Amino acid sequence: MDLLEPTRQAFALLFSGDRELWGIIWLSLWVSVAALALLAPLCVPLGFVVARIHFPGRRALVVAMQGFLSFPTVVVGLVLYLVLSRRGPLGAFELLFTPAAILIGYMVIALPILMVFTVAAVQGADSRIYETARCLGARPLRAMGTTLWEVRFAVTAGFVNAFGRVVSEVGCALLVGGNIAGLTRNIPTAIALETSKGEFAYGIALGFVLMVIAVGVNVALAWLQGEGGLE
Amino acid sequence: MSPLFKAEGIVKRFGERVLFDAASLELETGNGYVLVGPNGSGKTTLLRVLAGLDSAQEGKLVYRAREAAAAGPYPEPWRREIVYAHQQPYLFRTSLADNVEYGLARRGMARERRAALAAEALAWAGLAARHGVPPHRLSGGEKQRAALARAKVLNPVLLLLDEPTANLDGEARAQVLELVRALITESHTVLIATHDPEIIRLAILTRLRVSAQRIEVAE
Amino acid sequence: MIKRIVFALATLLCAATAQAQTVRMATTTSTANTGLLDYLLPKFRSRTGITVQYVAVGTGAALKIGEQGDADVVLVHDRESEEKFVAAGFGVKRRDVMYNDFVIVGAPADPAQIRGMKDAAEALKRIRAAGSAFVSRGDRSGTHLRELQLWRAAGVEPRWEGYYLSIGQGMGTALIMAYEKRGYTLTDRGTYLAYLKKTDLQIMVEGDSRLNNPYSVIAVNPSRHPSINHAGATRLIDWLTSDEGQRAIAGYKVGGAQLFFPSAK
Ligand SMILES: Nc1ncnc2c1ncn2[C@@H]1O[C@H](COP(=O)(O)OP(=O)(O)OP(=O)(O)O)[C@@H](O)[C@H]1O
Ligand SMILES: [Mg+2]
Repeated sequence: MDLLEPTRQAFALLFSGDRELWGIIWLSLWVSVAALALLAPLCVPLGFVVARIHFPGRRALVVAMQGFLSFPTVVVGLVLYLVLSRRGPLGAFELLFTPAAILIGYMVIALPILMVFTVAAVQGADSRIYETARCLGARPLRAMGTTLWEVRFAVTAGFVNAFGRVVSEVGCALLVGGNIAGLTRNIPTAIALETSKGEFAYGIALGFVLMVIAVGVNVALAWLQGEGGLE
Repeated sequence: MSPLFKAEGIVKRFGERVLFDAASLELETGNGYVLVGPNGSGKTTLLRVLAGLDSAQEGKLVYRAREAAAAGPYPEPWRREIVYAHQQPYLFRTSLADNVEYGLARRGMARERRAALAAEALAWAGLAARHGVPPHRLSGGEKQRAALARAKVLNPVLLLLDEPTANLDGEARAQVLELVRALITESHTVLIATHDPEIIRLAILTRLRVSAQRIEVAE
Repeated sequence: MIKRIVFALATLLCAATAQAQTVRMATTTSTANTGLLDYLLPKFRSRTGITVQYVAVGTGAALKIGEQGDADVVLVHDRESEEKFVAAGFGVKRRDVMYNDFVIVGAPADPAQIRGMKDAAEALKRIRAAGSAFVSRGDRSGTHLRELQLWRAAGVEPRWEGYYLSIGQGMGTALIMAYEKRGYTLTDRGTYLAYLKKTDLQIMVEGDSRLNNPYSVIAVNPSRHPSINHAGATRLIDWLTSDEGQRAIAGYKVGGAQLFFPSAK
């Protein structure tokens, strides 16, 4: 099949500023970022606590989180679908097939990733960071902040990883979002369905953007880490 | 007059291993103390308990007539006045000035005043010229001096130093020794755990020794 | 060792030749979602020994698959694009197979008050005026193309604007979404009946002649794609339009209701 022609059309679409196309890209970005932003104030402190405080069941929790790292996103979508459907337990909120449903799905997918990375970052942090902060008069919350700041690149790696995973996942977004044009159609669901319609140019354009985004955040992180002078 | 700081009946175990069994010590205001004992006898552990970084199993701590169980929790206000410095100091990966200002900022001091005090403390430690170097690139001796400046700037009532000259020799050790000497004379009360004969030999220091899971005043 | 590899390869090759006894069909989601194909194809297989593998997509995509030679035969429902497909030389031997009809279904509350209307285009106009949710397949399927014709007839341009939900997915998903959003959708009667238990949607508009839905079967042109299984495709077409095939289609019922009506001439 001819690859060149649809590729040429793809770039023409991108650079012509096609509103529908850029709307799809925008949706993907804001839902992913919002999901992570909503999770951050929960996951980062929680990850810190799990890393530093010994409580019964802690090991089991960490192992479970590790397991959930590779939890199939389509199953997350399925469960969420059943829960949010009008006949499901949370049906009264009528959230199925809305951007909020995708946002919730993304949060579920990203939660264990952020937790595991934060726990690892804090466990890998020098214990003297927290102690030094405390000895110099910092309260526990501030000492936690100082510790997290010292290992910020390792924590950020969790966010980059989670972002890469949600921004490119198709199973959950398709199931609970429904790929509604202008409402819940995002990059991966559009690629999946435009291609099945034979609209290859659209798929290529979006695929290219998705690749640039996913690779871009990782490159940015690697570059930042270089600047951070971690040795 | 009652002592500034008192530890009574401290019991500290790591599993089967008993480090302290009903150990006690008293520190008088304005005095300098040196804590000696063989490797592994528990000097670091004791300082950490006194500073509230570790808890003991039994015993109590008394500071300025306030009492706290050594099993914790450690009273938060004490941390403003009792400062512990690690044997191998950790410097935050910010800037040298930020490190020295950190404790001042926690005490709510205004930015300009903090900066002035930090600059003064860095000059005291002979680090004024190293101002722009990322803290983690400093040499071992420089790190130790920065840590001493970071503690001194807080003007602590009780300063706990853990082997400030360990792993240093030659010029670096001499420089740190100089600062330690100055700290002993300038500070309120100092307790230094050390093996360094030059520190031990200082006449102004009272010698405490870890022995048979207790702390005794040595001659 | 080498002998073993050769043997393994030979086994693989044999398996591949056995594949020649399969026909690849591209069809629409309505024939698959209603369960018709899973009912018909085993009958065809027991008669001829030929297995039919099908992909269920929209009519547009099904024709595209046929055009590229990725299927041997297509079973679709959109007169206009079928004729274009044959005229362009992508397909040969188009035959009518069966028909059913489309209906407009909606939430029982019927917010746009279209229940019982006879004019489908008028009904769409009212849905638009009421600002009720309307779920569109949006996948270039036969159903979607028919829906677009109806909007044209209604003189309304369907766009998002908060009510027109174009989802790019199959009929089943569209029905469920119409249920979830308490809106309307255009569906073939067969899929609607097959999904009866999964939604509370009710038939609002039926019987308009513009809602007729004829299905055709077309063989992919073997002169364009010599490697396809044209013989198998021909046998499938012949069987579907034979008395036996037509009787089988008429005999397929869901919940006691006949879904497709034979139309081979
Ligand atoms: N968290 C811990 N868990 C188990 N054992 C520990 C722990 N911390 C210290 N110990 C043990 O307690 C003993 C005393 O250690 P500590 O560091 O207090 O000795 P020290 O007198 O400071 O020795 P040095 O002169 O070598 O610095 C050592 O045997 C050490 O292994
Ligand atoms: Mg020690």
